[in-house]
Amino acid sequence: MNEREKNFPALLERLTPECQRIIAQYEQGRSALLPIMHLFQEHEGYVSAEAMNAAAEMLSLTPAEVEATVSFYTLLYRRPVGKYMLQVCRGLACSINGAEDIMAYFRERLGIGHVQTTDDGVFSYEEVECLAACDRASCMQVNLDFVYSLTPHAIDEMLASIRSGTYSTPPMAQIEAPGRTWAISQESEIAGGKRSSGAVGVPQPNNAGGVGDRSGIIMLDHIINHDVEFFTKTSERAVVDSRAVVEVAQEEGSHARH
Amino acid sequence: MPVTKVLTQGIGEVDMRGIDAYRQGGGYKQWERAVREMQPVDVLNLAEKSGLRGRGGAGFPTGRKWSFLPKDKHPRYLVCNCDEAEPGTFKDHMLLEETPHLVIEGMLIGAYAIASHHAFIYIRGEFRRGYEIFCAALEEAKRAGYVGKNIFGSGFDLELTVQRGAGAYICGEETALLNSLEGKRGEPRLKPPFPAVEGLYGMPTVVNNVETLAYLVPILERGAQWFAAVGIERSKGYKIVSVSGHVRNPGNYEIALGTTIRELIEIAGGLRPERKLMAVQPGGGSSACVFEEHLDWPYDYESLAKAGSMLGSGAMVVFDDTTDFVKAAYNLARFFAHESCGQCTPCREGGDWMARVLSRLVNYRGVPGDIQMLLRVSSGITGLNLCPLGDSIEPFLKSVMVRFPDQFESRILAPQAQPA
Repeated sequence: MNEREKNFPALLERLTPECQRIIAQYEQGRSALLPIMHLFQEHEGYVSAEAMNAAAEMLSLTPAEVEATVSFYTLLYRRPVGKYMLQVCRGLACSINGAEDIMAYFRERLGIGHVQTTDDGVFSYEEVECLAACDRASCMQVNLDFVYSLTPHAIDEMLASIRSGTYSTPPMAQIEAPGRTWAISQESEIAGGKRSSGAVGVPQPNNAGGVGDRSGIIMLDHIINHDVEFFTKTSERAVVDSRAVVEVAQEEGSHARH
Repeated sequence: MPVTKVLTQGIGEVDMRGIDAYRQGGGYKQWERAVREMQPVDVLNLAEKSGLRGRGGAGFPTGRKWSFLPKDKHPRYLVCNCDEAEPGTFKDHMLLEETPHLVIEGMLIGAYAIASHHAFIYIRGEFRRGYEIFCAALEEAKRAGYVGKNIFGSGFDLELTVQRGAGAYICGEETALLNSLEGKRGEPRLKPPFPAVEGLYGMPTVVNNVETLAYLVPILERGAQWFAAVGIERSKGYKIVSVSGHVRNPGNYEIALGTTIRELIEIAGGLRPERKLMAVQPGGGSSACVFEEHLDWPYDYESLAKAGSMLGSGAMVVFDDTTDFVKAAYNLARFFAHESCGQCTPCREGGDWMARVLSRLVNYRGVPGDIQMLLRVSSGITGLNLCPLGDSIEPFLKSVMVRFPDQFESRILAPQAQPA
């Protein structure tokens, strides 16, 4: 049992009156789920399993219902993150006004990529969708405080002042060391063209979207022109696919060790 | 036509966050007048006569939306949609942070019009600062007796609850918002039943945008005629347009509907020197581009529809000749693929695939047939989902693909150069 887990019962006791106050605002208690999860995240730095269980208990939900809901929302972190969450806007208006250079600069300065945390646990970095501040592109949020009109110079100053503890926005709670990442990055898979979002299989004639179909053409062609054939052979596909999944996993595993 | 200042009056000049500053400008007078002198139906009629249409994206007539509530089903709810996340839109963000009491007053009037005793505002999770500002303003309004029990001694009770989102574009769709407000995944519901009949907790509910509700205050003050006298055809009144992209002074500009697109660009400072206009996306990430030949068209619901696009949320992104439209199309397709809730197969799978195909075009690794494939896939997404998110990929993509085919075709590798 780590320090956080040991302290959880005390935290729960401390937050329970606030949770009850939140629940009382609604005709149906379940509406309080997101606010309660925000509250725990403020104190623990992320939404822990204990917090989700506690919410389930308070709201008479199953833990599965709570996790299914929490996992839908990208601002609720189900794993520890850095003390400073840097979320850079990659929306269209920012992107045509230099956001790509800004993002590249961040990656280089921090030495990490999208949805990753630095080894010292200080910075988490994420490229996020339009932040609704397009008139002051390129923009970002630092622990949800807006920073506008980014330049490399401003970024250097920001990172330095965070490191020296003089930055205006306070750090987030962090009572457990974060890992390398806190979420699955869908985009890196798309951009790498490594696998389809559908199945992982092997090429023709019954394996569209598989590892041999990197462009996805076979998959799309099947969906568009041969849907009947495509969908009747799922059981056969499952056998081939499961074999390929193991292969890909092994290949990736050896990759990760480098 | 110049910039008008109705909702934006004073923003950027004076601090209107405190209740005293807001009251000094006549704040909460219309709320008092509504409760003391008007029946809910009077407010509804006023909204209907003013021609006010939803400012969030769909442009549905506000008064008519309210009139759909079944007469005998109670309780009923008003929900203010402040989950602003349509790419390019930043007006509600401004209203929330700069003039929170106007938002509150608009909500109160809206709730009164539909005889609701419990109103909610759903604020985008990223707007933490706006949330704090709004909560502080709400506390002031409660202390002043504008919200709560027996308002102005009239016997009318109205509670107002603030809900924070947690990062999901789709929660701006009204039924997804209601699910999220109920503490569930933000997945859109099948319509019908519409929220007016079965909304929050299965009860009649109206979901209105921040800007829509805020306009109720000046409409009550100056009358329906004042609002209806401005604009053209069925596009009445004023609108805050968020202008961004390649203009010199991006920002929120409040205009009379019917101001031309060219005037809007000029209001925002025009293009940078030596730059040529290539396209304008007039209504947020979901809208198709309009081009040079449309510059003198009026900016209103009907004209933009006629031009093959839409007014949407009023987010105008301007593109000059430095724009890589393949990248732009990829950016938006990736956005929609990322924000798909995953309920409906065409949107979940199709969006992902389109983003993938566009990604390889961006990287000059397109294969012959990619362009036709994009069009085929998008036609296989459109209209087949519970909500319009998946349908939103096609308009921008198609409009720029037709207009700038060279940019797309030049990204396709010759067959012999294909990777094995």
